[in-house]
Amino acid sequence: MASAVANPRPASSGIKRLFERFPFLPALMILAVLLALNGLYQPRSVSFIGMTGLVKTYLALIMLAIAQTYVVFAGDIDLSAGAIVSLVNVVIVVLMEQWGGSGLSVMAALGVGLAVGLACGIVNGIVVAALRLQAIVATFATSIFFTGLALYVLPVAGTPAPAAFWRTYGGRFFEIPFVLYAVVVLAMVIYVLARTRLATQLLAIGDDSQAAFQSGLPVTAIRIRGYALCGIFAALAAFCITGDTASGDPLVGGKMTLFSVAAVVLGGSALSGGFGTVVGSLIGALIIGLINSLVFFVGTPSEWQNLVQGLAILVALMAGVLVGRRARA
Amino acid sequence: MPKLKLSGVSKAYGATVALKRGDLEIDGGEVHVLIGSNGSGKSTLCKIVAGSVRPDAGEILLDDQPVTVSGPQAARALGIGIFYQELSLAAHRTVAENISLPDLPMKAGIFVDREALASRAARYIALFDGVTGDGFSADATVETLRADQRQLVEIMKALAAETPVLIFDEPTSALDRAQVDRFFDILRDLKAKGRSIVFISHRMDEIFAIGDRVTVIRDGETVGTRRIADIDPAGVVRLMVGEQDELAPPASAPPAANHTGAGSVLGVKDLSGRGFANMNFEVARGEILGFGGLHGQGQSSVLRAIFGATPPAQGAITLNGKPFAASSPREAIRNGCAYVSGDRTRDGVVHGRPILENVTPIHYLRDRLFLARPSALRDKALPALQALHTKFATLSHPINSLSGGNQQKVVIARWLIDRPDVLLLDDPTKGIDLSAKADLFALVRKLAEEGVGIVLYSSEDAELLNNADRILVFNGGQVTRELTGTERTRYNLYQAAYEAA
Repeated sequence: MASAVANPRPASSGIKRLFERFPFLPALMILAVLLALNGLYQPRSVSFIGMTGLVKTYLALIMLAIAQTYVVFAGDIDLSAGAIVSLVNVVIVVLMEQWGGSGLSVMAALGVGLAVGLACGIVNGIVVAALRLQAIVATFATSIFFTGLALYVLPVAGTPAPAAFWRTYGGRFFEIPFVLYAVVVLAMVIYVLARTRLATQLLAIGDDSQAAFQSGLPVTAIRIRGYALCGIFAALAAFCITGDTASGDPLVGGKMTLFSVAAVVLGGSALSGGFGTVVGSLIGALIIGLINSLVFFVGTPSEWQNLVQGLAILVALMAGVLVGRRARA
Repeated sequence: MPKLKLSGVSKAYGATVALKRGDLEIDGGEVHVLIGSNGSGKSTLCKIVAGSVRPDAGEILLDDQPVTVSGPQAARALGIGIFYQELSLAAHRTVAENISLPDLPMKAGIFVDREALASRAARYIALFDGVTGDGFSADATVETLRADQRQLVEIMKALAAETPVLIFDEPTSALDRAQVDRFFDILRDLKAKGRSIVFISHRMDEIFAIGDRVTVIRDGETVGTRRIADIDPAGVVRLMVGEQDELAPPASAPPAANHTGAGSVLGVKDLSGRGFANMNFEVARGEILGFGGLHGQGQSSVLRAIFGATPPAQGAITLNGKPFAASSPREAIRNGCAYVSGDRTRDGVVHGRPILENVTPIHYLRDRLFLARPSALRDKALPALQALHTKFATLSHPINSLSGGNQQKVVIARWLIDRPDVLLLDDPTKGIDLSAKADLFALVRKLAEEGVGIVLYSSEDAELLNNADRILVFNGGQVTRELTGTERTRYNLYQAAYEAA
């Protein structure tokens, strides 16, 4: 009655609703712009083969960005994600080598790799959620710990992965590259995970963990599950990077950690938690990949590449914020 | 046999005793009102029953069986549901998700059953059909809702638990009359079904409209329980106050204002903005101008626009005769404009910081203070806090250790160190107990006598009628009526407020 007359608010336009429903739209627009620029400077880069190459190189970062997203949902962060990638990478490479590199031993090693990722995630979850240490510092500490383990498993980089493994990752089945199958499976997994109770609960905790606790949610257990999921996806990222580099390197993932955080933010998720999408993080990781390749295609001198890369990521972040704000205003 | 019985329940946080001795007995099929001033321990008592606070001592009997409520989950399993005063909603989740959040319906073991979710939400939203207001739907995110709508969601969430014992800790503080009426219909229905309901409110009329029995808590101790039929409002107040006899100033007419056109301190001409239009009024030095009307008719929006907290509106504002258009609260404060919001968690309190820091930010801003000595600040903060009879242990205790009413006093105290010219009060007594209200309004009148121009919006009609020299009645973002002198009656106020509705 009275309240219906009361609050004259502007009718929300279709565009606004669209942006609210799909918060990763700004990221998608940036992605389109970057694709166009890449095509402009190197037409072959946007061909089927070029895109396959891009996905093959950046599937690891995509996986890690997805891993990061689930902990960010709950307002946490995982600075050990890259270290988990390193650890799983060296564990599977060493196991594959010791077990002979046959198809079966590769599968077994991958199983162990997943278990290692899961275990690392659970350790993070216990440290952060059950022991209540600050996520940013606690996972920084576990990252050093995991890197230490990786160095123990394989002190020097260079042990090659068996051919059966990386040929599969880089190969084709029925004329379609393996990584595209991987992307399709990944899309289905993301779709399924987005509909789980866990995803909703993680987001609710990110919104207001005290409210979630008072609502009767098992907050600690849910946050640990978020970290566990992160560990599993970090292990998948390690599989991708092993397939791409075809070797073991105890420090391979370290640099990826903050890139994964950047991808999550580029994708429109809030680092404070409670708001975001996994698809956005996937797009964010692709944006970072496209920026890196664009910097290369434009012909930036090697000593300037980092500087330009950094600037480009800043610009992409700003563009995302501006586009999102304009659309929601 | 009582459904739920608490005896000798206590809780202390460090040196602060939140609840000394809580006793409560609730029967099936009754609405049991819990009343007491802020900081008397009502919310603590409720949270102990709901499992989100663990008691230090005492016994809880449910159906004559001693139980330990180890957490909110355990409480639900025992059949206890609660509406939290500070709400327990996830801002970015939808209304439907929030209603079912404690117990999301499942499909295939891991998925959220969207259909069950939607149908459960529809069932509880239908209960409030017609009073939910604009923009309320099952798939709206909670952050897009107004305060009263969020409160409705929290009510629906509590109802959806379908527990035999239901606790409502101030569920009506932001609701308008129609919403309250509907809520009471629902409560009566639940009562008829044999549920046990605990209801907390500071509004005496609501207590007498819905309650069967009333339990009064004072300073963390249960004082007594009476049947509503056997007591009158004055009796309840006597129980709450104890030995002190008079607490609130009698509801006499406020002192005649000395407002002449010459003394105008705040002038608003043709002001329009989001949620209001065509505002024209002047506030004289020493005048208390009241904003009345139903909840959410643009009163807060006008105050926030003057204070520069919302994007600039059309029209002209003058402060002390000079044009004034604050683009930010910072600018408004520098020019001598003060604003106190009823939503202290959002607009007032600096969470987790000491009381001293919560009293002094305005002083920092107005004196352009860069370095400060705590001892010097203490001398300025203490008189301001004492002027409001604020209860606190020491200035270095975090503000969260105080009760809601005392937190609000700290927020108000920060404006008293450097006197403002204009004080904007935006429903300042929301969730504050009667004696704190009396302290607050005594101070407001004193400020007015000293020449401060005051604009008071209150959702409680009695506060307006007792304190404002003039009342502008808001309806649908416009001022529909001005009440002065003897026109200031409850009847006129209601009539103007409900006119267009």
